Amino acid sequence: MSILLMAPALLLLLAVFLWPIVHYAWLSLQAQSVFTGLKPVPVGLANWERLLGDGRFWQDAVQTLRFALVSVGLELLLGLAIALLLHQSWRGRGLVRSLTLLPWALPTTVMALGWRWILNDPNGPINGFLELLGLPSLPFLASTQLAWLAVVLADTWKTTPFVALLLLAGMQMIPADLYEAFALEGGRPMQGLLRITLPLLRPYIFIALVFRLAQALGVFDLVTVLTGGGPASSTESLALYAYLNAMRFLDFGYSATLMLGTFVLLLAAALALVLAQRWRRASA
Amino acid sequence: MINFAAVRPWGQLGPGGRRILLAAALGLGLALALLWGSIAWASRPTTVRVLMPAPFADSTAMLVESFNREHPDLRIVVTRGPLETEAVSDLAISSLLLGDSPYDLLLMDVTWTAKYAAAGWLLPLDGWLGPTPLAPLAPGARAGNRIDGTLWRLPMLADMGLLYWRTDLIAAPPQTPAELVAISERLQRQGKVRWGYVWQGRQYEGLSCVFLELLRGFGGNWQSSGEGLGSPAATRAASWLRELIVKGISPAAVANFAEPEALQSFEAGEAAFMRNWPYAWQELQGPASRVAGKVDVTLMVAEVGQPHGATQGSWGLSVLASSPHPAAAVEALKALTGEAGQRRLVQRWGYSPTLTALFDDPALVAERPLLPVLQSALESVVLRPINPGYAQLSDILQRQLSSVITGEVEPALAMERAGLASQQLLEASGRGGGR
Repeated sequence: MSILLMAPALLLLLAVFLWPIVHYAWLSLQAQSVFTGLKPVPVGLANWERLLGDGRFWQDAVQTLRFALVSVGLELLLGLAIALLLHQSWRGRGLVRSLTLLPWALPTTVMALGWRWILNDPNGPINGFLELLGLPSLPFLASTQLAWLAVVLADTWKTTPFVALLLLAGMQMIPADLYEAFALEGGRPMQGLLRITLPLLRPYIFIALVFRLAQALGVFDLVTVLTGGGPASSTESLALYAYLNAMRFLDFGYSATLMLGTFVLLLAAALALVLAQRWRRASA
Repeated sequence: MINFAAVRPWGQLGPGGRRILLAAALGLGLALALLWGSIAWASRPTTVRVLMPAPFADSTAMLVESFNREHPDLRIVVTRGPLETEAVSDLAISSLLLGDSPYDLLLMDVTWTAKYAAAGWLLPLDGWLGPTPLAPLAPGARAGNRIDGTLWRLPMLADMGLLYWRTDLIAAPPQTPAELVAISERLQRQGKVRWGYVWQGRQYEGLSCVFLELLRGFGGNWQSSGEGLGSPAATRAASWLRELIVKGISPAAVANFAEPEALQSFEAGEAAFMRNWPYAWQELQGPASRVAGKVDVTLMVAEVGQPHGATQGSWGLSVLASSPHPAAAVEALKALTGEAGQRRLVQRWGYSPTLTALFDDPALVAERPLLPVLQSALESVVLRPINPGYAQLSDILQRQLSSVITGEVEPALAMERAGLASQQLLEASGRGGGR
């Protein structure tokens, strides 16, 4: 009986989750591209062989991971700080709370265009400011060293409010009497943060981490608009590479392989995380 | 004889009879409405839907309006696509992949043709446009429309890479890469301009266009098969671009410049030279320009003895194979690419025409003095490889050039990689390679 009740939900899951994966797995074994007239031609594991030897895939994988780790790390730190600030009661807090959400509310494309202008060399405001100080203007989006940091900066600016909001919600779930009892025992505020807030916030941090990592590892729109993947493909993400293969090169077989390859990498990373946590728990 | 007395007035009908009459009246009314509706439906004008990049949707609005006025049975409806060239292609491709494209005509960049044709999305135009549809075109505008014997498009306007230079700073434009560098350095030393030369160095299609005409000037050739990037000439051309930045002739920011950024810098009087398309001419004469009346146009520099190249970037109309009314679509295509239409585009927007008749028209030349230069540029056009895999070939080139310009990779190594990667692609696709 229970299986019958669950059937609709299961079917839906199968349709939206399993079916695309199965379809992509099949597609990754075909050459379906503009050279085959968009018709699938079975090629065995040729796409996968190409993937393993494709330096660009691995470079993009490293770049995507670097972007995700750095930006999500920054967002967690800043988000925590902002959440702590907004959790205190002070005049005008309500206003600031809503203002903080503003970057999150902006569509990514609009926000990326904005940053493209802000970082413009030499006409953007940041370079205008540098020039005012007598400093040389910086080619933020034209240098391989700076461009990826620019992407991190824009992403952090946009999604820190999201993290802050999640953590703030978590903080408000912590009973105030815990802190009162802690203060009565002579605990200092900093200890309170480390002993009460952070441990009780852990599930919220975990949720924020999962949401943000999943999003950051699939970063596409921000990069496309802000840098287009350049210069020298130094900001290209895996999603952008797969997109180029499908929409620009019309190479659907390889694009599917890239998507599945990314999926496998993510699964491996997630598995490693889970195993590491288990091992830590077992040894604790 | 009709017995009038037997015809009973309304009031004398029984309730059943009245209902029958009412039903009959209703039925008649409905039938009439249907008839009228279907007549109106049948005489409704056929709608031809065209997808164009936003700037062209704006500039052709006047042509579309005239066409719709003159053709009561046909109606062109233009969809204003995105501003950026590649975004328009993405939109078109999305609709085509879903299998039910709402468009009849696409205004396409010349490099898309081979890809769209290979994907089976375009209608062959042979037989629709008379026996010699390409004859009225200037020679440089004829190439790129016919692939392997089949006609896929007709150009609406020509586009070619040009070198813009400042007449208030120098008397004659540079002819060779070395001259461009020397003049730039002199003008920069004298404090007359901040930069010598601005161009498009962003990792996108424009970078391939910049490189292609320069490659020709250095004696190289990006062959139609897609080969030729690994040549010594390609390395020299790439090195020259890198040196422009190292020597401070071009700003480091050029590695993120597309057409608007280059135009902005040149328009502000910051640079002595700019590489851009013909559209920039009209912009430079506008009220926002600080160099209005101080600009002339010539062909890209070339080493002594080598041809001056101009990358062909023409825009043309193609009929989609899925169009339900190809005859109407062809009619619209003819009107938009025809002489009258092109003349108005030249007069109003300063576009480059594709028809010999317009280049040779003294009245039009008097109105648009740039036409002879455009004509000579059209005679020196260089085509990007005509290959369904062009987007990927160009992507390979852009990636390597971008790493040269940003100083990541040595020019010789980068071009060797570009040559190898293109060769691999061509071999894998069963095209080119070993030829």
